[in-house]
Amino acid sequence: MYRGREGQWAFYLHRISGLGILVFLMLHVANIASAMWGPEVSNALMKFYHQPVFQVGLLFLIAGVLYHGFNGLRIILMDFTAWGVRYQRALWYGVWVLFVVFYLPFLIKIGGGILGGSHGD
Amino acid sequence: MQVTLKILRFDPGKNAKPEWHTYQVEAEPTDRVLDLLHKVKWEQDGTLAFRRSCGHGICGSDAMLINGRNRLACKTLVKDLGSVITVEPIRGLPVEKDLVVDMEPFFAAYRAVKPYLINEEPPPARERLQSPEERERYDQGTKCILCASCTTSCPVFWVNGTYLGPAAIVQAHRFLFDSRDRGKRERFKALGSASGVWRCRTAYNCTEACPREIPVTQLIEEVKRAILFDRF
Repeated sequence: MYRGREGQWAFYLHRISGLGILVFLMLHVANIASAMWGPEVSNALMKFYHQPVFQVGLLFLIAGVLYHGFNGLRIILMDFTAWGVRYQRALWYGVWVLFVVFYLPFLIKIGGGILGGSHGD
Repeated sequence: MQVTLKILRFDPGKNAKPEWHTYQVEAEPTDRVLDLLHKVKWEQDGTLAFRRSCGHGICGSDAMLINGRNRLACKTLVKDLGSVITVEPIRGLPVEKDLVVDMEPFFAAYRAVKPYLINEEPPPARERLQSPEERERYDQGTKCILCASCTTSCPVFWVNGTYLGPAAIVQAHRFLFDSRDRGKRERFKALGSASGVWRCRTAYNCTEACPREIPVTQLIEEVKRAILFDRF
């Protein structure tokens, strides 16, 4: 593994989270489109997604969306300001601060639900 | 001190793929990695192949992947690496033998951005004058020694060999921001293409790798903005 620094990991995580969100979007569209085959099919699929493993998936999805969004703002600052590149490392740590602040409520609510045996109902 | 030197070696006549060879070398902490490679070649195994010329960080011949990062072997001291040192050829270019890679794709990208002054206007009676501020504008790009440390540290270049790469864009920046140059449109053709500046994903490996401390990503971003705002 090439020993790159913050910028390299910011890029890798941005790409991975972006692909993750794309996969979710496809599943989501397929889920909605299942209504075309009537309520039985749609409800069965909904029930399938209410298994605990998908609650863990939801935590990953929220993490991906938050990281991708906040790092996207960092990229906009780097692309459109004269100073963004100079402070890219500090900006990346800022991304993580925002990430933790926004992710904690989801982690407590959904994570607590998983541990408490809730299936997201 | 005793140094364990691991070198990723490849002989196209013998090996199907590269393999690690380990050498024990006696070294001073102030020795450079280039000195260790010389010791191996001169005293242990004369078949080791690597490029070097000036040995003082100017010719740009001995860029290598040393302990996981692109550096010049002639500017990297043993004391900064420890007693176990790994050396691999730079990535993304075809390996010819051991640490020697085919630099032609790298120089093809360099030629593509037309790295020379373009100005069809009749020359003035004396020289084309430039203020110190105008000269300063492109100063960073003039420091490049074309060692390929930046281009071969780029994750995009590793998987997409058609990407021009940071070094070529730095060279383009050097002329784009030169007040005497008029070749903007010609260079934008290559730089604005699908294999041009838009492939840059700002991973900053190039900036970290540059042995001349050129703020490579900064210059690439300036070229991106120059192309973008040129459309308005």
